[in-house]
Amino acid sequence: MRIRHKAKRSLLIAICALALPLQTGCWSKDEIEDQSIYVGMGLDPASETKLEKTFRKEGDDYRKRKLLTYTLQIINVQSESQHGGGQAPVSEKPYFNISETGDSMFQLIREFSARMERPVIGHHLKVIVINEKLSRKYSMNELLDFFLRDNEIRPSCLVLISKGSARGTMVAKDNSIIPSFRLTGLVDNRYRSLKILEPMTLSKLEGKIYGKQSYLLQNVISAEGEVKFSGGAVIKGKTQKLQGLLTEEETIGCVWLTGKGQGGLVKSYHEDNHQPIVYEVKSMKSKIDAKVAGDEISFHVSIKSKGRLTEEWLNNNEPIDPAFKKQAEAGSQKEVRRLTNLALKKLQKQYGTDVLGFGKQLSIQHPRKWEKIKDRWEEMFPEIPITVSIDMEITEYGAKITR
Amino acid sequence: MSGTQQAKGGLPQEKLTTIQVAVIISNFMLGSGILSLPRVSAEKVGTPDAWISVLLGGLVAIVAGVIMALLSQAYPGQTFYEYSRKIVGSWLGHLLGPVMILYFAATAAFQVRSLFEVSGFILLEGTPQWAITSVFLWVGLYLMLGGLGAIARLFELILPLTIFIYLLVTLMGFTIFDLDNLRPLLGQGIWPVLKGVQTTSLAFTGFEVIILLTAYMKNPNKNIKAVTAGIAIPLVIYIVTVFMVIGALSVDGTLTKNWPTLDMARSFELSGLIFERFEFLLLIIWIMQIFSSFTTAFYFSALGISQLYKRKMKTCLYGLLPFVYIFVAVPRKLDDVFTLGDWIGKVALYLFGVIPIVLLIVTKWRSSKHANQT
Repeated sequence: MRIRHKAKRSLLIAICALALPLQTGCWSKDEIEDQSIYVGMGLDPASETKLEKTFRKEGDDYRKRKLLTYTLQIINVQSESQHGGGQAPVSEKPYFNISETGDSMFQLIREFSARMERPVIGHHLKVIVINEKLSRKYSMNELLDFFLRDNEIRPSCLVLISKGSARGTMVAKDNSIIPSFRLTGLVDNRYRSLKILEPMTLSKLEGKIYGKQSYLLQNVISAEGEVKFSGGAVIKGKTQKLQGLLTEEETIGCVWLTGKGQGGLVKSYHEDNHQPIVYEVKSMKSKIDAKVAGDEISFHVSIKSKGRLTEEWLNNNEPIDPAFKKQAEAGSQKEVRRLTNLALKKLQKQYGTDVLGFGKQLSIQHPRKWEKIKDRWEEMFPEIPITVSIDMEITEYGAKITR
Repeated sequence: MSGTQQAKGGLPQEKLTTIQVAVIISNFMLGSGILSLPRVSAEKVGTPDAWISVLLGGLVAIVAGVIMALLSQAYPGQTFYEYSRKIVGSWLGHLLGPVMILYFAATAAFQVRSLFEVSGFILLEGTPQWAITSVFLWVGLYLMLGGLGAIARLFELILPLTIFIYLLVTLMGFTIFDLDNLRPLLGQGIWPVLKGVQTTSLAFTGFEVIILLTAYMKNPNKNIKAVTAGIAIPLVIYIVTVFMVIGALSVDGTLTKNWPTLDMARSFELSGLIFERFEFLLLIIWIMQIFSSFTTAFYFSALGISQLYKRKMKTCLYGLLPFVYIFVAVPRKLDDVFTLGDWIGKVALYLFGVIPIVLLIVTKWRSSKHANQT
């Protein structure tokens, strides 16, 4: 009996000892200092960098089609740690960009493993900027497939279109700025400007790509290391390619029609002396009513907004009277009508794409009708009558007295 | 506990309270399925109304659960393994028992395999299957050797935590929620919703353990209450899940994802809190749920062997381990895993959807005949 007990005990000890190697911690650990974290990515039509050309001369070649060049923005760990520690001005940029030309995104990313000692990881990718020319040529599902499949990249990653070079948006003049963070940070300013569209993340895009829906992406322009969110890019549902760009005014018109703006302003000019009156948007709402009468489909958009009179160049510092209020409201409404007309005209007559969700509203309000026409919706869209009613009310006048 | 006694095979045997039984049922039901449920239901329904289908599926499950509970009440102190032979005779009983043992063993293996697939994709890329599987199996065995009482007490700890964290994370999805994704409500009528009910009711498999658990209850008469409460908790969680995921990702976005629930949690970041990313919280509780589903299934598979072939429970638990380990490795690719899941569901449909009704009718008929004779 005792011998059996002993044998049992030594067996237990042996098992415990064997289990120990399993307790040593993370199996496939990667130290964060040994990784290159990329936070932004720009996709451009193929244009090899000088370095790449030199590399090629030296014999860097493999079978690939030169379809696109992409730029990876990597956080410079060394400079970041300096930045945190010392008070001295930063001499080094907190990021660096590297580019590769080829076709498969995944292959291009893995190319860096042959170039840099720290492998690149995508857990913190914040933004993908796609060059306008590229997205006219290739569909969103082609360009983004890798990002949607990859297990490191998060679906919360933002997608933007750039009118000029996408690489250009990945550059900053100032040494304290990380360009990718600047782009994602701009989205947070939606409550201050109507020029900033609702952010389109990979997760939202995926549904739209699969459902072959049309949508708007934010357009960003860049020059000399500065960027600006300027206008929108229209992606056509069926092809998932870029159909065309919207100007800043047309984009604001779209924001009014969807009622998804969080804040901003409307500047109008006084009818008589052409001095500016500025209405600051405190709230905006829009309701799209789909009307079906037999075969006729039409929409009515009612926009409601409340705001504050923030600036006017007219009154000689005297209190505002009700007549002026009426005039200011009417002026602002006229301006919004101008913007929404611009937007609708471009979207219906020129691009023929429904990016504002009229089809979606029809499907919600008249699901049976929608089932019948959904396949030819975008062909019908340019001819659909859309009326807009605008109701804007000034409820505040700032710190100045009113009568 | 007063009911503690050493049974054959050395496992401590305690009588379970009604709440404990409900908790075991809930924990068993909540498992691998929750990450893919929004996709699976949206695939079948095809409209944003998938959540209604889940609701109906849950009601179907409650009806089936009550039937099983009634059946078990007729044979106090006995598990299904023991009493099924009395109803259908030893020949059919010899078929029914092993099928159920296999069903539970396959379920256990399926849970572990799902764990490996998800954690291998998103958490532990590069950790080999044997490492994840064997650790999981051994820890599970350790728990099971403590008997049903130990299992129940652990589950009582896990469930409130699961509910709290899970609802917290899914409701955070409101940051990217868009009600338009869930509209139109019943745009294509009720028919698509009904088409999905078969699939969604399969998401509730797990309540069938009531036909085994009743035998260990302190108050077997309350087993209807236990099974209803046990199904109600997952029902709420499932509806919230499907509602939030489709609301956040839209039907089209849900259809393209292997694990839409996980992707929903990956689609938003909240700054200003201690954490910005919340999918890891979701994964932690998901792994706990997989663990509870695995141990329950494994335990009842072993129990079947023990009761049908008169072996010690301990021997069965140890003996089953290598088979489940091999079973885990059988599906060769992810698609096979999903197929295995479908098959387990189909078997469950017949085993627990159809057979209990037949058995209940036979039982009632016999007892009425018996009553007439005396």
